[in-house]
Amino acid sequence: MPIDPTMFTIAAIVLWALGMLLFLIAGERKVIKWLAHGSYLAGILVLAVFTWMLWDILGRPPMRTLGETRLWYAMFLPVIGYATYIRWDYKWILHYSGAVAIVFLAINLIYPDNYDRDLMPALQSIWFVPHVIVYIFAYALLAAATIVAIKGLIIEYTGKQWTWSMQLADNLVYLGLGFLTLGLLFGALWGKEAWGHYWMWDPKETWAFLTWIGYLAYIHYRYHKPKKLTTAMWMLAGAFIILMIAWFGVNYLPSAANSVHTYTQ
Amino acid sequence: MSLNKTEIKPKKKPVWAAPWGYTEGWLFVAGLLITGLALQLVAGGLSSSALAWPVNLYAGLAFTGLIVFGWVFLRKNSLVSWLGRVPAAVTSIAMITFLVLIMGFTLQEDAGNPGWVQSLGLSNMTSSWPFLFGMMFFMASLGMATMKRLTPMKGRNIGFFLNHAGLYIAIMAGLLGAADLQRVTMDLYEGEVVWGATDRQGHYKDMPLAIELERFNMEEFNPKIAVITTNDGRIVSESISDMFEIGKGHRGNLIGWDVEILEFHKMSGRIDGRFEPVVDYGAPPSALVRVTDSHGSQVEGWITSGSFMYSHQLLQIDRDHSVAMTIPQASHYSSDVVIYTPDGELIETRIEVNHPVSVNGWKLYQYSYDDRFGKWSSSSTIEAIRDPWLPVVYTGIFMLIFGSVYLMTLGKAPEKTEEQLAAEAGEPSGTEPESNIKGAA
Repeated sequence: MPIDPTMFTIAAIVLWALGMLLFLIAGERKVIKWLAHGSYLAGILVLAVFTWMLWDILGRPPMRTLGETRLWYAMFLPVIGYATYIRWDYKWILHYSGAVAIVFLAINLIYPDNYDRDLMPALQSIWFVPHVIVYIFAYALLAAATIVAIKGLIIEYTGKQWTWSMQLADNLVYLGLGFLTLGLLFGALWGKEAWGHYWMWDPKETWAFLTWIGYLAYIHYRYHKPKKLTTAMWMLAGAFIILMIAWFGVNYLPSAANSVHTYTQ
Repeated sequence: MSLNKTEIKPKKKPVWAAPWGYTEGWLFVAGLLITGLALQLVAGGLSSSALAWPVNLYAGLAFTGLIVFGWVFLRKNSLVSWLGRVPAAVTSIAMITFLVLIMGFTLQEDAGNPGWVQSLGLSNMTSSWPFLFGMMFFMASLGMATMKRLTPMKGRNIGFFLNHAGLYIAIMAGLLGAADLQRVTMDLYEGEVVWGATDRQGHYKDMPLAIELERFNMEEFNPKIAVITTNDGRIVSESISDMFEIGKGHRGNLIGWDVEILEFHKMSGRIDGRFEPVVDYGAPPSALVRVTDSHGSQVEGWITSGSFMYSHQLLQIDRDHSVAMTIPQASHYSSDVVIYTPDGELIETRIEVNHPVSVNGWKLYQYSYDDRFGKWSSSSTIEAIRDPWLPVVYTGIFMLIFGSVYLMTLGKAPEKTEEQLAAEAGEPSGTEPESNIKGAA
């Protein structure tokens, strides 16, 4: 193995966990607040440095295996959580996105990847990097939107008196669907160059289409029925399940037996 | 999807009274599904060749013309005005989602699917009647919504227009263009000029161009080293994550064995029990490895993955296990070709994976090679694809790319903080009348 991810992974997990803890206990204390920001951002930085080194050592974009896509996801999610916190002052989303990122890194610790330099010729394209980055970024945005929805659902079903603003979820979905569309279209343009056609209903494409159209339904429904929050939140939860099938579940479906898209293990 | 459950309220208007909403949409979907499935059972699946040029052009113009006509002259009609609003969009999206979900769980091949799945068209979803009806409903709704925002034309609707018209154009051209899409393969052999191609059904086709293969090129990644069970030649699964690339000086631990690569030749020949670098037809890679077990005892020897000419060689490391060299994976492959066109043009070029070559309306792709011979293959298969509708599809795709950037700007700052909302939590929520449909749609 050309590079050992263990130390980097553990460092990122510890820094995020520490940052989240400090955010919780900081209160009005300035110094602790700054330490919290520093620790959280340092976790992202450690992972970014590791990803950059990995890219350099492998001599190919580290986006080929499922584990490698988890790495990017674990990097983007805290970025989005942090940006949401800075931009709209939702502190709780920082914790949720940090926690989900930690889970994904932990999966990578338990199932270490075999990083090797092989990259099949079809993946050697200028479209490879934009396609994957844009997709994983969209996945992370939509995960954040799902977190908003789940929090809303929990508040509702625990019977609390509530009014839950879906504006944050909407904002994240607008961004997420924008990136999702770009990922889909970059994939189509790449597909034409690599496999001869822009759309072939490959199982991965089928599920990517389902994901896309799911969020499309959400946006239209929200636009038309802005007061129907519960249905909208369930739609977000459902769309995210489809997203996860598109991301990795499709590898296990019998319908994907002939897919060109399953990740190398 | 159960989007409709919460929509049905006791004091609502009767079904099919204007304006139509979700209830009518779900009934519409049910009607289309039942009709579609019935047609599928009676008439069988659809064939895209029925839409071959110029039928597809007429069909597209007629469908689009109907939408424009409907919007311009029949705007007050219940069906027309409903198609342009969100309930039709959401129900048609739900219908497509339902059908594509089935498709996502069903292997899209007749073989391996039970008879009833085949006769309902579920294993050939995209050429089934329900899918056609779903797409027509979806496109009618999409087209009508686009018309609605176009009249009157307003600058601030540009993002909406790019997304909706872009999607309409891309899907319409993609569906109709499928009938004119030609995909054929040409089997090339070094030094032979080939005019003919075969399609997927094995039919021969004369091509408006000829290709001569000058040379097939392949480069490979270095092979890897693995521990296998000697009996069946299978890689020990626990060692998969520790397999590493072979190169002189590389060293790693494979499930307890310390493995060191002392020598490595990309192409080599066996001379007196050892391997020396040679450049020769069929010469396989080889490596000298030293393996130390946990007790410190060592074995040393040559391994090779072999090639079509030479057999492989393993190094036995205990009673059941050996170390082996994997077969190298291709890193690049390409064909150097000369292309001749009827007007006497002669093009010398290289066709490579991800780098197709365009000639006379055809795109030529590196498709495959004779994998028995790997990098010594003297034949190469080129796929030739003609898709005359591609520029139209790309117009739609680029509109969508700009439209999706617009979509990203739609976010708004939350109107109220959570504290403010909490202060208002006593007020009833979700019981107000629906936001007015005129404004929303």
